[in-house]
Amino acid sequence: MIKITDLKKFYRTEEVETIALNNLSIEVKNGEFVSVMGPSGCGKSTLLNILGLLDDLDSGSYLFNGIEVAQFNEHKRADLRKHNIGFVFQSFNLIDELTVYENVELPLIYTKIPAAERKQKVEEVLDKVKIIHRRNHFPQQLSGGQQQRVAVARAVVNNPKLILADEPTGNLDSSNGNEVMELLTNLNEQGTTIIMVTHSEHDARYCHRIIRMLDGQVVLENIMV
Amino acid sequence: MFAIHQINLKFMFKNYFKIAFRSILRQKVYAGINVLGLAIGTAACLLILQYVTFELSYENFHTKKDRIYRIEQDEYENGKLVTKGVVGAFAVGNSFKDALPEIEDYVKLVPFSSVVVERNNQPLKINKIFFAGSSFFNVFSYPLLSGDSKTALSEPFTAVISETTALRLFGNENAIGKTINLNKEKNYKITGVFKDLPVNTQLKANILLSYASFLKIDNNSESEKAWLWNGCFTYLLLRKDVNPKSVTSKFPAIVNKLTGADFKKYNMSNTYLLQPIEDIHLYSNFLGEPEPNGDYKTVYILLGIAIFIVVIAWVNYINLATARAINRAKEVGIRKAVGSQRSQLVVQFILESALLNAFALVLALLIVIVTIPLFNQLAGQQLSFSLLGTLNFWLAFSALFIIGTLSSGIYPAFVLSSFKPVEVLKGKMVSTKQGALLRKSLVIFQFSASLFLLIATLIIYRQTQFMRQQSLGINIDQTLIIPRSLVGNDSVFTLQMNAFKEELLRNASIQNITVSSSIPGEEVKWVAGGVKLHGADESTGRQYRVIAVDDDYIKTYGLKLIAGRTFSKDLGIHPHALIFNRKAIEQLGFNKPEEAIGKQIDFWEEEYTIVGVTENYHQQSLQASYEPIILRLNPNVRGYFSIKTNTAELDQTINKIKTEWSKFFPEDTFDYFFLDDHFNAQYKSDQSFNKIFGLFTALAILVACLGLFGLASYTSLQRTKEIGIRKVLGASVGEILQLLYREYASLLLVAFIIAIPLAWYTTNKWLQGYAFRITIHWLYFVLPFLVIVFIALLAVSAQSIKAALANPVKSLRTE
Repeated sequence: MIKITDLKKFYRTEEVETIALNNLSIEVKNGEFVSVMGPSGCGKSTLLNILGLLDDLDSGSYLFNGIEVAQFNEHKRADLRKHNIGFVFQSFNLIDELTVYENVELPLIYTKIPAAERKQKVEEVLDKVKIIHRRNHFPQQLSGGQQQRVAVARAVVNNPKLILADEPTGNLDSSNGNEVMELLTNLNEQGTTIIMVTHSEHDARYCHRIIRMLDGQVVLENIMV
Repeated sequence: MFAIHQINLKFMFKNYFKIAFRSILRQKVYAGINVLGLAIGTAACLLILQYVTFELSYENFHTKKDRIYRIEQDEYENGKLVTKGVVGAFAVGNSFKDALPEIEDYVKLVPFSSVVVERNNQPLKINKIFFAGSSFFNVFSYPLLSGDSKTALSEPFTAVISETTALRLFGNENAIGKTINLNKEKNYKITGVFKDLPVNTQLKANILLSYASFLKIDNNSESEKAWLWNGCFTYLLLRKDVNPKSVTSKFPAIVNKLTGADFKKYNMSNTYLLQPIEDIHLYSNFLGEPEPNGDYKTVYILLGIAIFIVVIAWVNYINLATARAINRAKEVGIRKAVGSQRSQLVVQFILESALLNAFALVLALLIVIVTIPLFNQLAGQQLSFSLLGTLNFWLAFSALFIIGTLSSGIYPAFVLSSFKPVEVLKGKMVSTKQGALLRKSLVIFQFSASLFLLIATLIIYRQTQFMRQQSLGINIDQTLIIPRSLVGNDSVFTLQMNAFKEELLRNASIQNITVSSSIPGEEVKWVAGGVKLHGADESTGRQYRVIAVDDDYIKTYGLKLIAGRTFSKDLGIHPHALIFNRKAIEQLGFNKPEEAIGKQIDFWEEEYTIVGVTENYHQQSLQASYEPIILRLNPNVRGYFSIKTNTAELDQTINKIKTEWSKFFPEDTFDYFFLDDHFNAQYKSDQSFNKIFGLFTALAILVACLGLFGLASYTSLQRTKEIGIRKVLGASVGEILQLLYREYASLLLVAFIIAIPLAWYTTNKWLQGYAFRITIHWLYFVLPFLVIVFIALLAVSAQSIKAALANPVKSLRTE
């Protein structure tokens, strides 16, 4: 599903150029649940942003389902993103002015799904993450765990092929964190590919494979049993 | 597919509106500042636009307005322009029409004084009377309700009257065919009734007498050849597609042919120009206007303020929207992450601006409706709610909405939609330097504009004060004026007049009485040309303003005599005595007043003697310069009675005067007014301009400060962490405040530096329009600056103090 070869990414300020990703190559197959680990500043988040087409790369190749997307412009990226990729963030990133229901509905509006179908899909997914009873609440009326479940619901409502999760349990206590991890595991079992950045060895144990990074490079890959 | 697309578009908009609504509700202060600022700005703009529309609408109802011109007569002596006038020579209209085929028609109008008509055995006074040529209703589009527009004014001693006049004179009876007697002299048969003339016309006639009657009175028929006798308005109707410039260029030759020899003799010349009828109200303010006109400068200055205010409000929106961008950045990031295109976000933010603008406009409409009466009072205008029913009003309203939404919405929309999701979702969002610079420039613009307006307000105020406080050189206090008696024949009249005076003077509360052809506070309408030293060449003749007065004029008005003596019965009768003012003897060629005493003057082929010279005094408002004035003794003068009274028991005195008046002039009405009111009425337009200008300046400053308050609030909010760190490191509240103020202090200084030259140049230009004016003082610039600094300080302080006092632990923890 994803094949990245010789990926390079620099960050430039006026004086220094830092290399964030250095000749990185990875491959993720359909249906995999991969976690990316490594110390702060090793380039995990940069990698995730590039995978999610939120950031561009300086050199290398990125094949998404066999299509080269490295040179896509902003418009094409947004298009590919909304149909194929769901995001879950550490800080949830729900829109405060919208209710639970409306937050989850948002991606469907951008993919132009008719209203009736939207309603069905949103309710289905809210039910799945067990938050349907809070559908008319605003994010700030929910606990952290509940907010993250809404964020997961929003990430999956469009049936994306890929979910990118950036420390999804980072702001949660352990029981809430476990709930979210169970949710992601369920999704994966139903066929969604998941790539997750995490600091938690505990969370990483839910995955099939751990990619360990240091200074912009992959240093080790563990296959979980 | 298309249907689905449509449904989703609709839904998307619904979503945007929902977000906009909720974010407005959540950010009440922010939304409040924006809506209030925009509403005040728009309301001010609409009020001014209404006023401006009204002023610009004068004479626009004439169907032939593009072809109607009034003739302006500019008089030169020795090649020097001495008078620009609109009551010109009588021969002009017919002579030009005869000579130029480009002229389709013309109409002459001769202003006539008020008249007294008898109604149920009671005298009834009617004003605004004109003799009008028979083509009046062909040239102008005043609707005739009854009568034949082609013939109504063609016969001698016929009259056409207004609807209201008909009602006053005949009640509900049909006026046509009835006869009215004017001033117990001539009878006129009524041949038509016209609809009351609209407010936006300069000629608000009540009665039109046929010009043919004018020709029959006192052998006026000579008038058709008179080039040196001024007294009528001439309007030309040009043929279609005729260029007025080409017509004007043919005038000199015609004038030269018909009267060139006369002009040469007096070393004078007249130039004739054409005033498009629609320009008269705002661009013409010359000798003899039928009513005081407006001024295009006032109109455009107010229009400028209107634009200033509304732009200041739009700038507020831009500033606040970009300053609080950080609050919206997360939303933008998420929307982009879930697949929103940038264009969709731009549309969303513009819709948000549209929504706020719409709220503001509704509020503005309410403000306009509530404040129209107040505004009318200030402006001395008769705008009404009916303007809300006009298409133009709604066009302006829609234009303000669209321009407002776009101009205030586009920039923030592009800034907000440009955020990169990677950055904002990580919380790395830093406001760009570029944005800050733009905001600073916009704040500088707002405060330059506010300062400019405040400086101008102060200078206008000082000038208005100055004009009212300056000594006039003539005493107009406690002076009761009775306009001249209209009825009665001349030989008996003088006797009656003197008896009336004597009778009143017996009264202890009446000190002096004088009769004169003009009174202070108005233009002297008698302009005599060709006046010169006896025996001097005709070419040395000059124009003077002449007031015919009785013996008591100088004494009653307390004029200061600087040479010679006053008129006096005790010194024997000098029917040919003149008193000049200083300006007049200077024009005659004397530097010292004493030199002029006893000099013989040729005045219209008769010899007169200068017996005295007065100091210059203000015959008119201080806007006008001193005119050369000749007081000509005429014990039989028929004019205004000026009665000096004591302040005590004024009511009784007036009753006494009224009783005597009706005894001596039973066929006339008794009207009176006080001279100081009459004189100060000249400043009415200056004062109302001052008030309007001041009001809208205050509004502009208020809107600008609302914006500054909002901006300062956001800045201090954004700097919460910085302030926290500084406090942890030991900064005092005072030091923090200093830090926050410093930013704005420099902006205000820059605004001040920009505003000074602009304000100095503009106000100086405005003051040039006043013959007597204040000198511009540096305080007029510094005081407004201090006021603005103080107000701005208040606006900035409100949030800054809160931020400076906040507990740093709290503000750092939220990071």
